[in-house]
Amino acid sequence: MMKLSGSQLVWIIVTEVVAIIWINITPAVLISKQDSWISILVAGCIGAALTFLVVHLSMLHPHQTLAQFSRALLGKWLGRLIVLPYLFAWYTLSAYLLRGFPDFLKPILIDRTPLWIIMLLLLGLMVYLPYSTGITGIGRFCEIVGPIMVFVLVISFIINAGNANWHHLLPVYADTGWENIVKVSIRPAYWFAGPFTLLVIVAFMKNPRKALQKSMIGIGITVVMAVTATLMVLMIFGPNLAAKIRFSYFIYVRTIDILDFVQNLDIFVIFIWVFGVTAQLSLYLFVATYETAQLFQVKNWRKIIWFSIPGIFIMAILIPDETIIAAYDKLWVSVIFPVCGIGIPLLLWLVTVIKRKLAY
Amino acid sequence: MTRAGKLCLALLLTISGTTGCWNLKEPDQLAFVLGTGLDLTKDGQLQISLQVAIPSGAGGGQESGGGTKKQSFLVLSTTGKNVYDAFPKLQAQLSRNMFFGHRRIILIGQRLAEHGIDNQLDVFLRHPQAELRSKLYIVKNGQAKDILSAESIFEPFSATELFHEQATLGLKSNYIWNILSDALCPGLQPMLPAVELTDPNQIVYMGSALFNKQEGLKLSGFLDAKESFYANWITGKITDYTLTYFVKQGNGTVSLKLHSLGRRIRVKRMDKQRIKIDVLLSGAGDIAENNTNLDPTKRQDFQIIQDELRDSTRKSVQQLIEKVQKQCKTDIFGFGESVHQQYPSMWKTLGHDWNDTFPKLDVSVRDDLRFKHSGETNSSVKSML
Repeated sequence: MMKLSGSQLVWIIVTEVVAIIWINITPAVLISKQDSWISILVAGCIGAALTFLVVHLSMLHPHQTLAQFSRALLGKWLGRLIVLPYLFAWYTLSAYLLRGFPDFLKPILIDRTPLWIIMLLLLGLMVYLPYSTGITGIGRFCEIVGPIMVFVLVISFIINAGNANWHHLLPVYADTGWENIVKVSIRPAYWFAGPFTLLVIVAFMKNPRKALQKSMIGIGITVVMAVTATLMVLMIFGPNLAAKIRFSYFIYVRTIDILDFVQNLDIFVIFIWVFGVTAQLSLYLFVATYETAQLFQVKNWRKIIWFSIPGIFIMAILIPDETIIAAYDKLWVSVIFPVCGIGIPLLLWLVTVIKRKLAY
Repeated sequence: MTRAGKLCLALLLTISGTTGCWNLKEPDQLAFVLGTGLDLTKDGQLQISLQVAIPSGAGGGQESGGGTKKQSFLVLSTTGKNVYDAFPKLQAQLSRNMFFGHRRIILIGQRLAEHGIDNQLDVFLRHPQAELRSKLYIVKNGQAKDILSAESIFEPFSATELFHEQATLGLKSNYIWNILSDALCPGLQPMLPAVELTDPNQIVYMGSALFNKQEGLKLSGFLDAKESFYANWITGKITDYTLTYFVKQGNGTVSLKLHSLGRRIRVKRMDKQRIKIDVLLSGAGDIAENNTNLDPTKRQDFQIIQDELRDSTRKSVQQLIEKVQKQCKTDIFGFGESVHQQYPSMWKTLGHDWNDTFPKLDVSVRDDLRFKHSGETNSSVKSML
C-alpha cells in the first residue's frame, strides 16, 4: 500500500503551485497593476478556503479516494459520472503542461531540438515516477524538489534586491479598487487551490487527521513565495513594463547582474524548474490513472498508464498554437474549476453531511 | 512488466543524449556581437550596425612580440525595414553565427532619435534570447555606426568601454529594461545618456538626451553634462559627482567631491486643481580643492562655504528645471509620477494633459548639502604666499 507522510503532502502542494508562479504574475499585473501583489494575497486566501473544502471532504472519508467515496455516496452510476469531469481535467491538464513547458523552454534554450523529443523525455520521466513507486515516490521527490525550488526563489529575491525600487508599488490601492483586485484574484486563486489532486492523495496519508493542517502549511508557503515574487517583479520592472512581459518572473531572473559577474541565472532556474514540472506531470498522471482504474474497477492501476500515455502525448502534439493554450486556460477558469473545484465537492460534502445526519 | 520498464529506461537514456546536441555551437563557431547601433540614413532608411569581436585580434599579451597589430573588431552595417530584418543581411557577411548574449551597448544616432524610436524597441525585449543587460546611449551630432567604429583606449572594444563608463561617471545603470520601464511609466519622460564623437576621434560623454513619448519617443532636446547631473540627481539616478563653484566672500573657487546623493519629491496640494512640487536634494561631500581666502577648518568660514554651496546649487537646479519646463516641455523629472504616487485621485484628472500642466508647474527647490571632510590642508596654499 502506498503511503504519504505529512511533510510530503506539504511539499507536494508547494511544488505543484510554485512551479506555475511565472505564468500567473503577468495576468494579474495587466489589470491590478502595482496592486497585483494584493490580488495574489487575496487569491491565496480564496485558494486556502477552496483547499479547505476539498481536504475537509476527503477527511470525512478517510483512506478513500474521490472515485471510491463518490460511488459510496451517490451510487454506482451517478457516482461514476461525477468522476468523469475530473478525468477530463487531469488528462487534458497533463497534455497542456506537457506541451506548455517545452513550448516555453524551446525558444529560449534549445531552439533547434525538435519539440517532440523534449516532450518525449518529459513523458518518460513523468511515467517513471508513478509507475515505479506511485504516490510515495512522488511525495519523496517533492520533498526534495520543493525545498530546492523555494530556496532558488528566495535566492533570486535576495540577489536582485539591489535593483528593486519600492516606489514602483505606489500608489497602493487607489488606482485599482477592491473590485479589480478581487476580480483579478480569481484565476490565481484556482491555481493556488491546485487541480483538486488533494481529493485523491489525501486518501494515502498515513495520518489523515493531519491533512488539513499540512495542506494549510503548504498553501501558506506557496502564497508567501508568490506574493514576494510578484512584489519583486513589480519593484524591478514597474507595473507598466511587468504587464508587457509574458513570463515576468523568468525575465526577472534574467535581469540579475551582480558585479558584472553573476549573470544568466535563468539557465539555473530552468534547470530547477524542470524538476518541478516533472513532479507536477507525474502527480497528474498518477491521479488520473489511479482514478480511471477505480472508475472501471481495474485492480492494477499501473496498466492504465500504458493506455493513457499515448493519449496524453497525442493530445499534446496536436495543440496547434499558443492561442489554444490561452483558450484552454479560459476554459479552466470559467468551467472546469467552478465545476470540479467548487460545485462537485460542495455537492458531495452536502450529501455526506445529510447522510450522516439521517443515519443517526 | 519489469522488462518493459527496463526497456523504457534504456530508450529514455538514448533520447536524453539527443536533446542537447542540436544547439551545439562552440565559441569558435560564433561571432560575438558587442554593440548594436541604429541610425537613420540621409534618405530616411533604418540602418543597423553591429560591432563584432574578432577574438584573434583582441587577444592580449601576445601582441607584445611586435609585428602588425590585428584589428580587434569589425563593424558591419546594412539597412532594413526593421531591426531584425537587417540581421540576415548582416549574417551573410559573416562565416560565424551572430551571438547576442554578450552585447554590451545599444546606440541610437541623433537623426533616428529625432525621428522617434518607439518602433525600434520591441525586438530588444521580445526575442527569446534577447540580452537585457545592454546599456543604451544616444549619439549626439553623429551616427551610432561612427561610435562603434571609433578607436577605443583601454579595452579592445568601444562597446565595453561605453558599458563601464556609466559606472565610472557615478550613474546608476541604464539597462535597456530600465529605459523601457521609464518609457512606459505615464508620469515620466525618458532621459538617456548621450555620447559624442569629438574631433580627434574620441568618444565623450556629453550629457543626456530627453525624449517625448507622446510623439513616438522623439528626441526633444539635450542637456549638457552638468545639467544632466542635476537632472539625474532629481530623478535619483546618480550616486556621485564633482562640483565646482565660486565663493564670492572668499574670492575663489571651491571643488567638492559629492557622494551619497539623495532626493525627495513632495507634492503639496494647494487647492482642488493646483499643486506645488517641493524638491529636496541631499548629499554629502568632501572638499577637494579650495582657492578661496577662507579656511574651512574654522567654523565661520566653513559655514560661508557651505551656505554658498547650497545657494548656488539651488539656483542651478532651479534654472535647469525652468529650462526644461520652458524649452523641452517634457517631464523628465518624473514629477507627474510623484503626483500619481502621492495624490492618485488628483492624477486621474491631471494625468490626461500632464504635458500641458508640466511647464506651468510651481516647483520649489531646497537642498541639504553637507561637508563631511574639508581635506588635508586648512586654508588655501595661496593665502600663505
